[in-house]
Amino acid sequence: MDKPDPTRHVKTRTKKESLSREERQKQLEFQKEAVVHLNSLYNYALHLTMNPSDAEDLVQETYLKAYRFFNSFERGTNCKAWLFKILKNNYINRFRKNSKEPGKVDYDLIKDFYHSIKDIQNDTSEAESDYFHSLLHEEVYQALHSLPEEFREVIQLCDIDGFTYEEIANMVESPIGTVRSRLYRGRKLLREQLEGYAKKYGINTDNHQ
Amino acid sequence: MNCQKACVLMSAAVDSELSLKEEQGFFLHLSECKECKDEFEEAKKTKLIIKEKIVQFKAPKTLINSIMELTSLSTMEHEETLLFE
Repeated sequence: MDKPDPTRHVKTRTKKESLSREERQKQLEFQKEAVVHLNSLYNYALHLTMNPSDAEDLVQETYLKAYRFFNSFERGTNCKAWLFKILKNNYINRFRKNSKEPGKVDYDLIKDFYHSIKDIQNDTSEAESDYFHSLLHEEVYQALHSLPEEFREVIQLCDIDGFTYEEIANMVESPIGTVRSRLYRGRKLLREQLEGYAKKYGINTDNHQ
Repeated sequence: MNCQKACVLMSAAVDSELSLKEEQGFFLHLSECKECKDEFEEAKKTKLIIKEKIVQFKAPKTLINSIMELTSLSTMEHEETLLFE
């Protein structure tokens, strides 16, 4: 390494400016394409980890990786899907090994977790008047989390995050036919759970049109 | 189309993911089969429930800030290495 001297300084400066403009451009593009999905990513991480601080770590790690490899993101494709895939891989590497066995659900944990972060916006838009009308957010959440992971995952990606079947198939590394049948069976299971809640309140579930 | 085939297509019908041909066959079957029609309505409803009732949380401010920093930090690091080149 040379000692800095005034003659070199000018040259370095121009080089620096042009490179940093490039970097700056990448930064802007990254913010426009990737950072806008921060909320979705955070919610996805919450569903996976059920722990706010783990979710934060996971999202942070995901963005760090995404920024580093942003050049390999195929422009014009769905950036949100790309980020979800990175997050899922991070999750598998980091958390899944130590976490609960699939299928085993800790209802108390879910309940506690839900209450611990429930200071948030209350969704006022109710579903059209039907027998699910009186279901609580918490119950739907609990029902969703009682599903085996393979079903919960596709429902989440499809109904909450609005991905196409092709994108979901890519994310869960299964054929589209599998995505279709998992969604079919998952929704059926979910409906049974929700009907259980509805019945608990004495709402007649057979009376729907 | 029979009920079994309709079930295979059910979720894709809910999500408008059917091909034109599949769609025609599926809805023709629904017009003839009350059981499948009911099932389809229920599946649509279930999707709607999930969409509306699952609360989306806002990412905490600290997280937002750290993500914003993350991108500008790497720029600064980059500049520094160049300065000491």
